[in-house]
Amino acid sequence: MASEKRTDQLIERKEVGMERADDTLSRAKTGDQTAFADLVRAHQAMVFSLAHYFSRDRATAEDLAQEVFIHLYQNLGGIESPEHLKFWLRRVTSHRCIDHARKRKMRIVSVDDAPEPVAPADFHDSLMTATLRRMVATLPEKPRLVVTLRYQEDLDPTEIAELLEMPLNTVKSHLRRSLAILREKVTRCLGEVKV
Amino acid sequence: MNRFDDKLKLALRREEPSSDFTDRLMARIAELQKQEKSREKTNWLTKLAEFFRPPQLKWATAGAMAVLLIIAGFGLHQSRESERRRLAEIAEGERAKEQVMLAMRIASAKLNVAQKKVYESAVHEGESK
Repeated sequence: MASEKRTDQLIERKEVGMERADDTLSRAKTGDQTAFADLVRAHQAMVFSLAHYFSRDRATAEDLAQEVFIHLYQNLGGIESPEHLKFWLRRVTSHRCIDHARKRKMRIVSVDDAPEPVAPADFHDSLMTATLRRMVATLPEKPRLVVTLRYQEDLDPTEIAELLEMPLNTVKSHLRRSLAILREKVTRCLGEVKV
Repeated sequence: MNRFDDKLKLALRREEPSSDFTDRLMARIAELQKQEKSREKTNWLTKLAEFFRPPQLKWATAGAMAVLLIIAGFGLHQSRESERRRLAEIAEGERAKEQVMLAMRIASAKLNVAQKKVYESAVHEGESK
């Protein structure tokens, strides 16, 4: 009974949130700058983090995120709903990241060539986090983006395939291979710790 | 999800950009809008300037020439018309003058005849006396 009530409350809260997001989007589309700033605040962490885990550089990630939001401002008329907005931002950010990497001809370091962090005896989660981020950063562009979308945005392979316009099997293969490499690398690096 | 997935989720959790991110973005958007407005303002001036630049200039010249030709043609037509009217008036005057001269000649001839008759009758009367 209590759990049903809680579920109802959650659904109600979600509906209210969606209505508010819809209203903010509508106001932003009419040229309301405050509403647009609210949209930016609501999605900046998502856009920035995708760019950050991809570019491995905070300043570059902020520049990329700004470009994405300026592009959004110029194309706001084509956004149909808050869900479409989220999808649009993820897609544009992903494409911008790949374009940026191509332009800069970023040096892609193979996972096998990446320097292995030294594992201290007293291993903490923060170190595990830093190690994993470093390992993810060494993945090639597309697998890195797939892994980031999977674990940062909690998207399933079908959604990632749609977002990156990539065959589902390719996404699954990128995920499988990347995870195997990451697991092996982290286990080798932090051998004594169960991962 | 296993333990490794959880670790990855934790490692790749969302992070916020710097605190002035939105303000900087909105400032950039305002700047872009300002540039856009000033571009719109100068747009009509540019269009006008472009009109006088080749190849638009040749169209403008062609237009001006056509207007000049129309004006010149109309002027020539008007001048010819007034000349024709003037000549017609002169011809009319000449015709009237000739008619007057003819009338005067007829009148003069009649007067001569009458004078001759008066003279002859006077001479005739003198002889009879």
